[in-house]
Amino acid sequence: MKTYEVFLKRPGKDPFTHVGALEAPDDDLALSFARDCYTRRSEGDQMWVVAREDLLVADPVELEMADRPHRHNDGALLRDLRQAGDPPAS
Amino acid sequence: MRSWDSMDDFEAFLDGGGLVEPDDDMPDAYREAVFRFIELHANSEYMGGLTERDWIAKAPGLTNKLTALAKTQDEIGHAHLLYMVAADMGVKTRDEMTADLLAGRTTFHNVFHYRAYSWGDQIAIAYLVDAAALASQQAVFKNCSYGPYKRILRRIIAEEGFHMRNGEELLLKMAKGTAQQHEMMQEGIDRWWWPSVQLFGPDTRPDDVLLRWHIKSERNEDLRDRFVQKMVPQLTAAGFTIPDPDLLQDPDTGRWVSGEIDWDALKAAIAGRGPDSARRLNDARVAWEGAAWVRAALDEAAAVPA
Repeated sequence: MKTYEVFLKRPGKDPFTHVGALEAPDDDLALSFARDCYTRRSEGDQMWVVAREDLLVADPVELEMADRPHRHNDGALLRDLRQAGDPPAS
Repeated sequence: MRSWDSMDDFEAFLDGGGLVEPDDDMPDAYREAVFRFIELHANSEYMGGLTERDWIAKAPGLTNKLTALAKTQDEIGHAHLLYMVAADMGVKTRDEMTADLLAGRTTFHNVFHYRAYSWGDQIAIAYLVDAAALASQQAVFKNCSYGPYKRILRRIIAEEGFHMRNGEELLLKMAKGTAQQHEMMQEGIDRWWWPSVQLFGPDTRPDDVLLRWHIKSERNEDLRDRFVQKMVPQLTAAGFTIPDPDLLQDPDTGRWVSGEIDWDALKAAIAGRGPDSARRLNDARVAWEGAAWVRAALDEAAAVPA
């Protein structure tokens, strides 16, 4: 048996969302079981079923490290500049 | 892999609303406690699904049979989802969990250790037991620190909501029905009131780790009390009585106060010494063995290269 991950997209503008996992012997039955387990009440109009072994999973610590302060702008400097009034005459 | 230097750090992470994910290096005690809780929930959904299945043939009329069919699929589906989440914690495999359940080494909720004799029992289960289970699950969902469990609970709760609504519909139909129907419904309430109240468990102990680690968000006694406050007026308004001779309404606050709760009955049921434990577990074994050919066929299909 293989483990599969199931992703659903609700009708409309929502992105695909991971909804859970299941076990199945092959891809065809994985799709069939996914329909039975996850879409009995039209929870989505599109579904992706992916074998877990085919998913590339990022390390959460490395994800955190991909963030750098210089990519953010919290508006603090702009606020200070706006409050500072006219620039001094040169 | 995320990890924490000490239990204090981990608890601070949980207190800050952190969600633990399967790949995290969580403390063993947390992994163990959360796993046991989810396994108990999964076992209970599975045993509940088998009970529901018994009523597909017996439910009166096509509509009720279809509802029983849908509910059976829901409950077995919930067990599937929960066993996947539990297995991913790496404590036991699905096969080990099934073997432990069928051998009586693990437990399931007290309410599935009693026998449903009549359609009135089945409605009482749908109305009282599902409401009690839903209230407990909502309290877990609200603040649950284990990510996969919280996400799967959202779906489970939505589906249990359908069941509860159906339970109330059927209860009100019986309330407006013939004297015989009314009597049958009252008997169901008489048999299922106490097991439903006991389902919440005794008062939460001050050192309960499930509360401290944000699996439970409310104390058992608070959930139980809310259940009583909600159910007593509803059942009374529908013309039924509560099988608790000591039930009192506080004249000042208007709140209902239950008589003494028999916690020995709860302990005995969970330990597999309930009135219907042996038959239920045997039914589960028969169902499991009866489906062996399906599992064998799936294994065979898996062995064939695509």
